[in-house]
Amino acid sequence: MATVKDNPYLYTLVTSLATVIFIAASCAALGWLAKTIVRRAGGSQRRQEEAQAGYFFAAPWIVGFLIFVVAPMLASLYWSLTNYRLGDPPQWVGLQNYARLLFEDREFRGSLVNTLFLTLVGLPLQIGVALLLAVLLNQKLRGERSFRATFYLPVLLGFNAAVLLCWRLMLNASNGIIDQVIRSLSRAFPAFSYLNRGLIYVVEVVNGFFLGLTNGNYTLLEKVLATGFPPENRVPMWIQNPLWSKMAVILLMVWICGSMMLIFLAGLQAVPKELIEAAEVDGASGWKRFWRITFPLLTPYVFYNLVIGMIAALQIFEPVYVLYRDNQPLAPSAYSMVYYLYQATFRFNTIGYGSAISWLVLVIIAVASFFQFRLQSRWVEYEIH
Amino acid sequence: MHSRKGLTITGILVAAMVLAACGQAATPTAAPPPEATAPPAAPTQPAAEEPVALKVYVVDYTADSTDTWLEDEVVPAFQAMHPNVTVEFIWGSWSTFGETVAGYFAAGEGPDIINLGSEFNGLYGDQLAPLNDKLGPAAWPEISKFIPGTLENASWDGELRGLPIFSAPRYVFCRTDLMPAGFDKQPTDFAGWVDFAKKATVIDPATNSLTQQGFVPVDAGTMADFQWYLNTIWSIGGSIYKDDGVTPNFDSAEADAAIQFNYDMKRAVYPDDTVGALPAGTGSVIEEGNGAVCLWHSGWAAPAPDSAVWSKVDIQAFSGDPTNFPNSKPIVLSFVDWWAVPAYSPNIDMTAEFLKFVFNQENNHRYNETMNLIPARADAHTGYVVDNPVLQREAELASQYSYGFAGILEPTQLQSILQTQLGLYLTDQQDKATTLSNIQEQYTQVLKDSGNLP
Repeated sequence: MATVKDNPYLYTLVTSLATVIFIAASCAALGWLAKTIVRRAGGSQRRQEEAQAGYFFAAPWIVGFLIFVVAPMLASLYWSLTNYRLGDPPQWVGLQNYARLLFEDREFRGSLVNTLFLTLVGLPLQIGVALLLAVLLNQKLRGERSFRATFYLPVLLGFNAAVLLCWRLMLNASNGIIDQVIRSLSRAFPAFSYLNRGLIYVVEVVNGFFLGLTNGNYTLLEKVLATGFPPENRVPMWIQNPLWSKMAVILLMVWICGSMMLIFLAGLQAVPKELIEAAEVDGASGWKRFWRITFPLLTPYVFYNLVIGMIAALQIFEPVYVLYRDNQPLAPSAYSMVYYLYQATFRFNTIGYGSAISWLVLVIIAVASFFQFRLQSRWVEYEIH
Repeated sequence: MHSRKGLTITGILVAAMVLAACGQAATPTAAPPPEATAPPAAPTQPAAEEPVALKVYVVDYTADSTDTWLEDEVVPAFQAMHPNVTVEFIWGSWSTFGETVAGYFAAGEGPDIINLGSEFNGLYGDQLAPLNDKLGPAAWPEISKFIPGTLENASWDGELRGLPIFSAPRYVFCRTDLMPAGFDKQPTDFAGWVDFAKKATVIDPATNSLTQQGFVPVDAGTMADFQWYLNTIWSIGGSIYKDDGVTPNFDSAEADAAIQFNYDMKRAVYPDDTVGALPAGTGSVIEEGNGAVCLWHSGWAAPAPDSAVWSKVDIQAFSGDPTNFPNSKPIVLSFVDWWAVPAYSPNIDMTAEFLKFVFNQENNHRYNETMNLIPARADAHTGYVVDNPVLQREAELASQYSYGFAGILEPTQLQSILQTQLGLYLTDQQDKATTLSNIQEQYTQVLKDSGNLP
């Protein structure tokens, strides 16, 4: 016997009708519920009607939030307490997944160290470069609008696969354009060559230390120290060497600092000009004017970028995925907590374990954000004194 | 007033329904994860003349000519034989393959045929339909025409679960014009290969980067490929499982020798990790100007069959290390993409008929001709396969030395473990003993978690 499912048009019509009826019914139900609650609380007729109308029109979003956000979150929380693998039903294991993550899983600890590195090194660099660009753009220069658009372009392009694949080509140590430029400048300017090699040495020592923390042995750090100051023909080994894999991700983080730059630019333009002029009249240098007047007034914007940037850094995924997905041997030196989550859930199909990782990431972000808000009163200036 | 309001609301609702119905046909929403244990019970098969809609998920790695041939020639021909059947192709990509296919199995519904890679019989085998009664020798005598190694990839637990499209074995391709002095043919043992790789590699001191790379095992940069490692183990007679067929065997002498060989090859090419890789280029690494002397890979990564460079390329199986391991044998590790039939399909009978049609001699030949690959059917090795000396040579080696990349338990997790540990060892981040111990320990844990080991 033919059913509705056999006719795609009829199926669509029925599904649409059911969806519309569901939305209408849920709006009416939520509005009625709000009215009932207000009435039982002793609210006037007018307040009841206002509550009913308000929740009636907010209902689509509320119901959508419950269905598509809250329900999956609760399911994820349940699965995180089970051994749930694709094809098998969930088996309750309690906190076993969490215990394994925190005390036994070396790879998760490695991803945690990598993520902390990206946050502690990459985020300050990102904020610093964004601030520098904003200060430059705040000067009244010709073509500032073009520069502003240019620096914001990476944000519009985003971390999509095509852009990141281009980066993979640009970061090639042999003929990638970035190292080609570094080589050319090093040959032309000896001072630049020393600076380049000095930075290479510092980066490799720091990364060697972090890799040692991750792997439990410091062989690479020892090799770097034994080799000493890099020779003239050295360039950064971006996506080829575990000592540089995280730096490639940081480079991309800095490249996409356009949003932060705009926030800072708005903050700079909100600084009262009278204060700057008064300081100038009093003989304060540009440096002093910036650090004594401008920067304190920028601290709310710095705080905003710090919070948003930290949340983004702790959840970083796309650059790691595209740069190192096909470079598995190098991936452990760069993969973040969210990449590890993706691997556990969608590659290994261990959905329970992946859910536990996601909740752990949430807790880490919540704790970090909590401390940021607690500490803001010590350094963020919201008022002019 | 109330009736006007009611009429207005009714009108809006009707308009919304009409607008929604004018949109695309709804796609089935993913069902929540099934409560019942896998595998699901076989769905009821439709009666003979009822309309049947087959959906086939194919990865878009194939050339446009393949897509066109399948949709414009194969489907109409099949529909002419079965007027009640419609066939729809879903074109996917390797980049999202894992998640997409996992979603189908998690939901318990999806395409009737899924294009899987070599090692996926181990991962999804239990959730695929047993097909011996439809495709076995008694039901379909043509099955005997397939290269046996290819059928291993399309089987699980003694049952065929689909049919293999092609055999993409891994050969060693070497540029004879770039071989170093003292070598007029490919080496035949580990020591010979390490010496060859070292002498054939050239580093430009000005840029501290490779301009010529003696050996490329899949990946030119890291040289840490898990398939290359497993190939090395198997070529010297080793096994990745002990005699019980389940317990990992990475504490064996063969596993140790193989990983040491992989490391020695890496250091023969890259004395240390400050040396830059070959410049990024287009086309095969052994093509003119791209810098590699030898490549271990399938035909995908080799130059096009009509390239002029083939006059200077020698093709061999990887010979192992007979000097130190008497059980060594030449092998061409055979990767087989195949069309699998999920157990959830409600159209298994008709799906099997479609498989028989697409994988008959003529169509299997034509399918592979559009991609310049070796057909899984030996009787389809005609025309372009024998006319082109390169493909003919590849087919001969495949027939003699094919070794199926199949039967691997929890292949995705093993891949991840091996790639991680190989990466650590080949970049001097940890020693060999720790590497092998980690592989053994982690893979054993994976097999315990999945129920393969107690």
